[in-house]
Amino acid sequence: MDEEIDNSATIAPEAKPEAINVSCRWPVLFLFFSAALWLVDAALAGVLGSLKVHVPGFLADCPFLTYGHLQANAWVAFLFGFAGNAGLGLTLWILSRLRGMPLARPGFVIAGTILWNVGVTAAMVGISLGDQTGVAGLELPNYASRVLLIGQAFIAFSAILTYFSRCHKQLYPSTWYLIASLVAFPWIVGTAHWLLAETPVRGAAQIPVGHWAATSLVQIWLGCIGLAAVIYFIPKILQRELFSRQWAAFGFWMLLLLGGWVNLNSGAPLPVWQITLSQFASGLFIFVVIAVGWNLRQTAKGVPLLGSDNLTLKFLGFALGAWIISGLFTFSNVCPSWNAILQFTYANTAIRHLFAWGFFAMAMLGAIYYVTPRLIGPNLDWPCAKIYHWIYRLIAIGAVIIVTAGVGMSWKHGKSLNAILVNKSPDVYSVKVEESGDLFSPRLLPAIRSLHAAGKLKSTKVQRKITKTGVEDEISLSDLPGYDAWPAVIQKRALMPMRVAFLGEVFFFLSSLIFLGSMVCLLARNCCGECSPMSLWRQFRGTQAEGGAK
Amino acid sequence: MNKAPWIFMGVLFTLSLSWWGMVYGPATQLGGETPNKGDGTALKPRVGLARQGEQVYRENGCYYCHTRTATGGKFGYELQLTQLGDDRVLTVEAIGKDRMSGVINQAFVIKAHKAVADAQATLKAEMDKPAAAEKNLKTEQDNLKAAEEKLKTEKNKAEDKDPKAIEAAQKSVAALQKAVADLQKSIADAPQAIAAAKKAADDAETHLAATQKFVKSNGLSEADHLTALGISGVTDTNLFSILKLPAELNDTQKELVANAKVAITEGEEQWSEIEVLVRLLKNKAGAQFKLQPVASDWPDMQNGVALRQSVSRDFLFDAHAMPGVMRIGPDLSNVGGRLMDDNAAYAHIYNPQSTGKSSHMPPYRYLFYRKEIVKGDALPSAAITVINNGEAQSVESGYAVIPTAKAKALLAFLKSLRTDSALPEAPLVKQAQSK
Repeated sequence: MDEEIDNSATIAPEAKPEAINVSCRWPVLFLFFSAALWLVDAALAGVLGSLKVHVPGFLADCPFLTYGHLQANAWVAFLFGFAGNAGLGLTLWILSRLRGMPLARPGFVIAGTILWNVGVTAAMVGISLGDQTGVAGLELPNYASRVLLIGQAFIAFSAILTYFSRCHKQLYPSTWYLIASLVAFPWIVGTAHWLLAETPVRGAAQIPVGHWAATSLVQIWLGCIGLAAVIYFIPKILQRELFSRQWAAFGFWMLLLLGGWVNLNSGAPLPVWQITLSQFASGLFIFVVIAVGWNLRQTAKGVPLLGSDNLTLKFLGFALGAWIISGLFTFSNVCPSWNAILQFTYANTAIRHLFAWGFFAMAMLGAIYYVTPRLIGPNLDWPCAKIYHWIYRLIAIGAVIIVTAGVGMSWKHGKSLNAILVNKSPDVYSVKVEESGDLFSPRLLPAIRSLHAAGKLKSTKVQRKITKTGVEDEISLSDLPGYDAWPAVIQKRALMPMRVAFLGEVFFFLSSLIFLGSMVCLLARNCCGECSPMSLWRQFRGTQAEGGAK
Repeated sequence: MNKAPWIFMGVLFTLSLSWWGMVYGPATQLGGETPNKGDGTALKPRVGLARQGEQVYRENGCYYCHTRTATGGKFGYELQLTQLGDDRVLTVEAIGKDRMSGVINQAFVIKAHKAVADAQATLKAEMDKPAAAEKNLKTEQDNLKAAEEKLKTEKNKAEDKDPKAIEAAQKSVAALQKAVADLQKSIADAPQAIAAAKKAADDAETHLAATQKFVKSNGLSEADHLTALGISGVTDTNLFSILKLPAELNDTQKELVANAKVAITEGEEQWSEIEVLVRLLKNKAGAQFKLQPVASDWPDMQNGVALRQSVSRDFLFDAHAMPGVMRIGPDLSNVGGRLMDDNAAYAHIYNPQSTGKSSHMPPYRYLFYRKEIVKGDALPSAAITVINNGEAQSVESGYAVIPTAKAKALLAFLKSLRTDSALPEAPLVKQAQSK
């Protein structure tokens, strides 16, 4: 581990780093440990949900564990359980360090964390019982979002007191991002809570509101925290200045403005201007990617981040790469014909996984790797640092698998959704209309369908007459060629990327287990000095060896 | 960017911009939508069981694998004539000789027949006129005499001369004189009028003969005749014998006449290509027509996913709008139009693999009651069955499977999902006709 050097520009810390670490110790450790627990939960729900793609009957008789519930639970556990806890913990630590002040009012943080975790638990239980909102990406039940908002307010109170406790000549860019994330969370979840649950807007209007809230939560809330970590740690560990504050500022404001607008599907049942606005925003998103990517590339010029010896740098380098790839995917949505192919496939979910695990979890785990030992005491290291490397490797492999399978194989699925599968020259059908007993020749299937829809076709039996061969037979309407709205070929192509992605989910699960294990190990060894479980155990063994306590 | 409060204000301002664009704007626009746009296509609210079913759909997370979003695509216009103008020449000028199909020509023949019948009726009326007029003349002359008589007596009254009565009598005399003169004139003019009517009738006959030349004999089916009748606008049942139609039409035939239309474009034309044609038809030829969009490169339409594009108003009555994320399963925007019978749908929800079709949907067995049945006992009528070897068997052998209220609500919701009626912003789209 390298030295404690605060290289962030001209900030001259008033309080000593050790004092700050001590002030942050319990609140931030509490947040990080909860994050580790929720990460295991999220990954487990992901694996179970993904398993259903292979075995649809798996756990099917348990209403709490349907595919829909597991998907929602996996995302809520990740977003609020892991990302919320880890993100808030890191926010507190970075803000204290950048402000050079000890954490203000740590009691509020502890109370907030308890509330926050109660909220996430309530959300998980609620979703299992079927209380999710119906907005994919923001399934938080009504009551849970209230608790989360209050919990976050407690933690944000402490963070903002710390933030305003001292004035520096210069604010480091990470501070902007963190303040934005603290403000954005109540704004976004409050909007969703108010407009989707408390006084819901009318049916169709829920679609853009839900999209905005779900997208903002990922792009702005998670994006700001993750980028703050990347922008803070990369220059800090490399002991360099950030290349340009102007680039950072440009990327920051653009991200805030565009983050909620991007990625609306081109086929969404909405007025055209909204889709165009979203495409326009997706197009402009390339500037965010360039601003942030170029800035950090110039900062880390000549240093291979992924090949670095420093594990934190590896984590953050991968996180940056994943963020850029997902940003490029967002940019690709500027092209409606590209979006039309991928909009109803697994690709969007795969990119969300890349963002969540490849970018955000990587950034958080890298930061936690750096921060946690320092919180507990000076000159400490992880008890088994080597195994922490495996977290990095497993998440990296999993993310690569999911993105490659998700986008590559979904391409085929999207292509077949956009191909005309029905033979263009259908046979001639004559349909028996039961009311009058007449034979009627609508010639085309849609006509038969509309007859049926109008209730004029009383019988489900249809007489088919193929004029070319003269064959006449009686078939049921659902057997008619072209009637099959879900041909087996599309079904297979839809499932393939998800089946492969299962492997990625398993890797994520393993890495989350390792992370939890490492946390437990670190805390057990070092948490309370002489009273930690590990030293107590050692004392116990020692006395046992001496023939003492039996 | 070094003043902490400024960052704070800036963040708030930027977020409110983002909020204004994607939350406030759309919510104001879409929140103000109405079920009825004033053109008679009112959307029906989702009520009762279907409304509860929406909650079952949400609770079980069906929207993760099913979308309710039929997308748009490319289309052309099919121009359908629904009513012809009176003048064949102008119609030919408008739509061109190539498009004058047998049915349209036949419709003009029917119109010509009608014109002939009308002209002959006029002729007959004209021929009957002189005799009637003579008869009237006689009566009127008698009346005139009586009136003159009356006037005389009024004038000759020695006492109590009533100027008003005299005036009235004078008036009636004048009127009767005029009537008599008119009748005399009409009798005199009658031969001329008859000649004119005869000429008109002859012209009509000639026109009919000329029009008939355009129709090839026995090239038209009964349906074509009915369509021609429909677009000609003729309702005279006396003509049906000429068209070899029964005097009394049955319901199917009536419907065909009522919905008669003839496509005069292929359905691949864009608006710019047919704009001139439409204007000529409307302003010069006086015809009535409809524009029918025809899918030309529109996968969701042509694959039978739905009959039109899904639009925001389809979600107007949803408590939770769930347009869906992925198509791991089929699109459900028009599933109500596809579900054939409840039993098969229940069987699919209970055990998707039971219906024989390959499916990867998880079973939702907990939405059903399961009751063991003693061997030999008959299945209860409410039990879900599948057809196996031509025989109806319980979906799970040895058990009677009966849907719970939740399953019933879910099915009611699914059946309420239909996009088979046109909306002004999303007309029903036709499939391209095979050539």
